[in-house]
Amino acid sequence: MKKIKRMLKIHRIFMAQEFKRMMEYKGDFIVGVIGFFLVQLSNLMFLWIIFGQIPNLAGWSVNEVVFIYGLSLIPKGIDHFFFDNLWSIGYFTVRKGDFDKYLTRPVNTLFHVLVEKIQIDALGEFIMGVALVCASVPNLHTEWDVFRILAMIFMIPFITLIFTGVKTITASVAFWTKRSGNVIYMFYTFSEFAKYPATIYNRFVQNIITYIIPFALTSYFPALFILKGENPLFNLGMPVLASAVLMGTGVLVWHRGIRAYESAGS
Amino acid sequence: MITVDKLRKEFKKTVKEPGLKGSVKSLFKPKSKKVIAVRDISFEVPKGEILGFIGPNGAGKSTVIKMLTGILTPTSGSCTINGKNPTQNRKNYVKEIGVVFGQRTQLWWDLPLRETYGVLKEIYEVPDDSYKKRMAFLNEVLELDDFISSPVRTLSLGQRMRADIAASLLHSPKVLFLDEPTIGLDVVVKDNIRKAIEHINHHEKTTVILTTHDLADIEQLSKRIVMIDKGSKVFDGTISDLKSKYGQIREMYFETGSKNAVEVLGYAKHFNLGDDDLSVETEGNAVKVRFNSSAVPVSDMLSYTLGKINISDISVKDADIEEIIRKLYEQGVE
Repeated sequence: MKKIKRMLKIHRIFMAQEFKRMMEYKGDFIVGVIGFFLVQLSNLMFLWIIFGQIPNLAGWSVNEVVFIYGLSLIPKGIDHFFFDNLWSIGYFTVRKGDFDKYLTRPVNTLFHVLVEKIQIDALGEFIMGVALVCASVPNLHTEWDVFRILAMIFMIPFITLIFTGVKTITASVAFWTKRSGNVIYMFYTFSEFAKYPATIYNRFVQNIITYIIPFALTSYFPALFILKGENPLFNLGMPVLASAVLMGTGVLVWHRGIRAYESAGS
Repeated sequence: MITVDKLRKEFKKTVKEPGLKGSVKSLFKPKSKKVIAVRDISFEVPKGEILGFIGPNGAGKSTVIKMLTGILTPTSGSCTINGKNPTQNRKNYVKEIGVVFGQRTQLWWDLPLRETYGVLKEIYEVPDDSYKKRMAFLNEVLELDDFISSPVRTLSLGQRMRADIAASLLHSPKVLFLDEPTIGLDVVVKDNIRKAIEHINHHEKTTVILTTHDLADIEQLSKRIVMIDKGSKVFDGTISDLKSKYGQIREMYFETGSKNAVEVLGYAKHFNLGDDDLSVETEGNAVKVRFNSSAVPVSDMLSYTLGKINISDISVKDADIEEIIRKLYEQGVE
């Protein structure tokens, strides 16, 4: 309990540092905010055009597709907002020897890296996700009950950890190879598959995104339960299991990696 | 108390042929070789000592420091600091040490310096009242007041180094590791930093391990030095030990009006000296002769020189520590 309290405190302090840092360069921050809204607007228009063209997709109505699309963006956005710093491990931190800093501080290194930075751009994904889910809900023929709504909220933290877990494992590769940015990128890109119902892909792709790099578990399978009430054991259980396995593996690989870390000459 | 026992670190290094072709080749057929960066080094440092850790570039100094601070995992051997092993229970261990790498900074680049200390206070769980006292003390010793409200990116190198040293001392560590803390600094700032280190060592009995290429750091701060070269320990003892062991080199300076003085003198032939024991440099009228006093006594050298040519000014002095170390770096230790 004391440990969790300390972690929360450190998280809060790092977040505060990040906001102060953004405020330090006001011009850049304001332009960033304007740019951010422009990008969101253009994304929205693009989706509106796409979804306007399809009455249904592999048996899914357009509103259901919008729901799945929106649902996939929410945990992705949360992970992107809080835990984006893993990318810099893959691209720079290990290669340049800057990882030394984390190892000389009395804080768990993975936790330190995860909470050190925030990525404000990610709010775009998150807001877009919430907007799409909200826009689709009134037009869905779903019998909503308390359980389905709770299930949706309950699943989000676990699904977020699927993203974080994949990034942690792939970022850890850098401890051995010095640079793994492209490895993170390749695996992370699989999450693009998560935006649409998995049944539109062939069997092979379906198996990969369900069992190997399980991004179908981040939106499609939970949506099967939330929208249609199908098989809660698999559709909710698998994402929870996958998040535990991925994050657990991530922690293990990370700590093995630290032993192989070679720093850089100075 | 620090005990280092047969500490060893090996790296696997990929060997590439030069150019793009070599890079492509190594992508498909990687070749690697084992490099021993640190070769079974042992030494001890008692509590409260300032140990000067020296050696040429690439000798393995930083690698040793990184193993002692828990950054690198040793290939074999062990190091224990106050009974703790750096790589086991790392979080507990690093609370007791402070680390400064002169070439890097742990300060928050974009924010006023004060913010860094605020965060470190929380990371190291320093209570409010001891934090206030500590900051007052560090302010006094390292004179941070002038720039504590400035963003770190605006600090000069000297200010940044003082700030980094203060950051490493905030949690009152028992052991302080300084890897080139005076690199790139001017004489006055160097001096201030040395005084600060001395002050902290004196008042808090902090054990300090210091690597540097500026031997004045060592001469001012530490009684004892450990020298390593190519990953092995080559010397362990006090500075006066080093001087008496390797310090038979003397330097003689004189000025002369006679042309071809050096040829006329012909030291090498007359005293039968090899390149190791003799070197002669001339600059205009001034001549500098460096020679091994165990091969030629100083008196012989003087009387021979004075008897052979006309001399306007002459002096002989001990080689300084820098000279000794230069010789050791260049030739290794027999």
